Amino acid sequence: MGGVRVMVVDDHPMWRDAVARDLAEAGYDVVAACGEGRQAVRVAAAVRPEVAVVDLRLPDISGVEVTRALAALDPPARVLVLSASGEQEDVLEAVKAGATGYLVKSAARAEFLDAVARTVQGDAVFTPGLAGLVLGEYRRLAAVPAPAPDAPRLTDRETEILRLVAKGLTYRQIAERLVLSHRTVQNHVQNTLGKLHLHNRVQLVRYAIEKGLDTP
Amino acid sequence: MSTPAARPWARRTGPGVEAVLWRATAVFRAVSCAYAGALIANGYGEYRYPLGGLAVFAVMAAWTVVAARVRGGRLFGVADVAVAVACLLATGLVETREHLADGRPNLTVSWVAAPVMAWALRGGARRGVAAALAVAVPDVALRALYAEVFSQTTFNGVVLLLMVGVIVGYLGRLAIDAELRMARAVALETATRERERLARDLHDSVLQVLALVRRRGGELGGEAAELGRLAGEQEAALRALISAEVLAVVPGPRLPGSGDDDGGTADLRALLRPYASASVQLATPATPVVLARAVARELAAAVGAALDNVAAHCPPGTRVWVLLEDDGAAVTVSVRDDGPGIAPGRLVEAERAGRLGLAQSVRGRVRDLGGTVEIVSAPGQGTELELTVPR
Repeated sequence: MGGVRVMVVDDHPMWRDAVARDLAEAGYDVVAACGEGRQAVRVAAAVRPEVAVVDLRLPDISGVEVTRALAALDPPARVLVLSASGEQEDVLEAVKAGATGYLVKSAARAEFLDAVARTVQGDAVFTPGLAGLVLGEYRRLAAVPAPAPDAPRLTDRETEILRLVAKGLTYRQIAERLVLSHRTVQNHVQNTLGKLHLHNRVQLVRYAIEKGLDTP
Repeated sequence: MSTPAARPWARRTGPGVEAVLWRATAVFRAVSCAYAGALIANGYGEYRYPLGGLAVFAVMAAWTVVAARVRGGRLFGVADVAVAVACLLATGLVETREHLADGRPNLTVSWVAAPVMAWALRGGARRGVAAALAVAVPDVALRALYAEVFSQTTFNGVVLLLMVGVIVGYLGRLAIDAELRMARAVALETATRERERLARDLHDSVLQVLALVRRRGGELGGEAAELGRLAGEQEAALRALISAEVLAVVPGPRLPGSGDDDGGTADLRALLRPYASASVQLATPATPVVLARAVARELAAAVGAALDNVAAHCPPGTRVWVLLEDDGAAVTVSVRDDGPGIAPGRLVEAERAGRLGLAQSVRGRVRDLGGTVEIVSAPGQGTELELTVPR
């Protein structure tokens, strides 16, 4: 006991077991392992995981939906997306829905456990691929014919750091190059995800109000 | 006629064009029959055999009901024409010779056009014309031999019948064919989409297994590690293939009939995707980076040359990251490796010495596109190339 409560959502039984075993061996408390999205959302409400490792491709609802539901729990579960193929749009959607990290399944065991540990800490787990997607998304938001006044923007520093992440530099290397502390780099990266997530939620609420979904 | 392929579709989506045309023919037949009936009632007292007129109308009405229910095949079509001709010729028995010579219409009036329409629908313009002649010849014969006149009205009637045969036959076939083609296209599209979905699912599970083998194999060591390494290579190759397949279709104008670099466009992401491997990581936006096809190809080739350069000059196991950015005004591709780096001055030196690898293949290409190449390198920190091409 005493381990961090982790949940695994993956429709591939071999993978689910391998990931759960790795986590258990590393001292985590694997409270649930689900193969379907709806089931995962139901179970999560009961077992209250602190961290969820979620595959994007599930048989019923998508991993993006699961991520949204898990991030909406109180307290929210931190979501680390683990996906097999580079489903680009899906990864971006999951991040906007509140996932704080993304890793491809081919990552080594040590890399995976490190990513889970960072997710537990509340740090964002970026691959260069995800940094490229997030950069692209901010540029897209800014370039839309008439960018909304409340569209999130990156500061110059954030852009600089995201570009370095996308070029494969570690946080430590970035800190050295820009003469910043490791923590500061971490926070900047985190902010880029936080702003996207917030923007997404604001848009969902606005949509709900427009459609009259906010009143019973 | 309606082939088996067309039928189920027509049934599924309500009445097809063909059913509508047949219904129109039935309505025409009924209205013509009523019109003929009205004329017969009107001229009842003046006929040679009034009861004969009534009998002809009875036959027409009965046949109209039958024809509305039975679409039938060729045999029914022949019977259809035969009944029409019989009713038409019966005019000779019922009407007086004087009335016919005066130009009074036949008892059947326009009713005889219905079998012509039916034949045209069944077999196209040619059959329609044949049916029109089959009806027109007895008509002309009746007028010429019995009434011994051949008036303008008779001639007009013949022309109208022929036109019905040609127009209904041609347009009907055209509409039915168009519908059939549409149905086939829809079926093909559905099948293609389904196949794509199956391929995606299949690929996904294959990727999962390969990734798992790679991960476990690496941990077990020895021969298993070798298997794991092979699985990893295949995984990267398969992932690149899928992405390329999905991204290869770029919406955009393609000029027909021109050559390869025809002013069409290409998604640069799709062209860079094949470079991704276990040692080369690719970072791109989620949305297409669309460039003129020729520009995209040259830029991708320059990136390929930069990667070749890394492979040639860096120790094995060197990792490379490729970042694609599009800020609207320019497209930037960064290629960074974590190799030993290039000592200051060595590039210039190499260029001067005539070893043109990097200079020619990367710089030259990008310069031709109106872009710039920036090289940042220091010993121990790897090398970074930034290729920027304005839009």
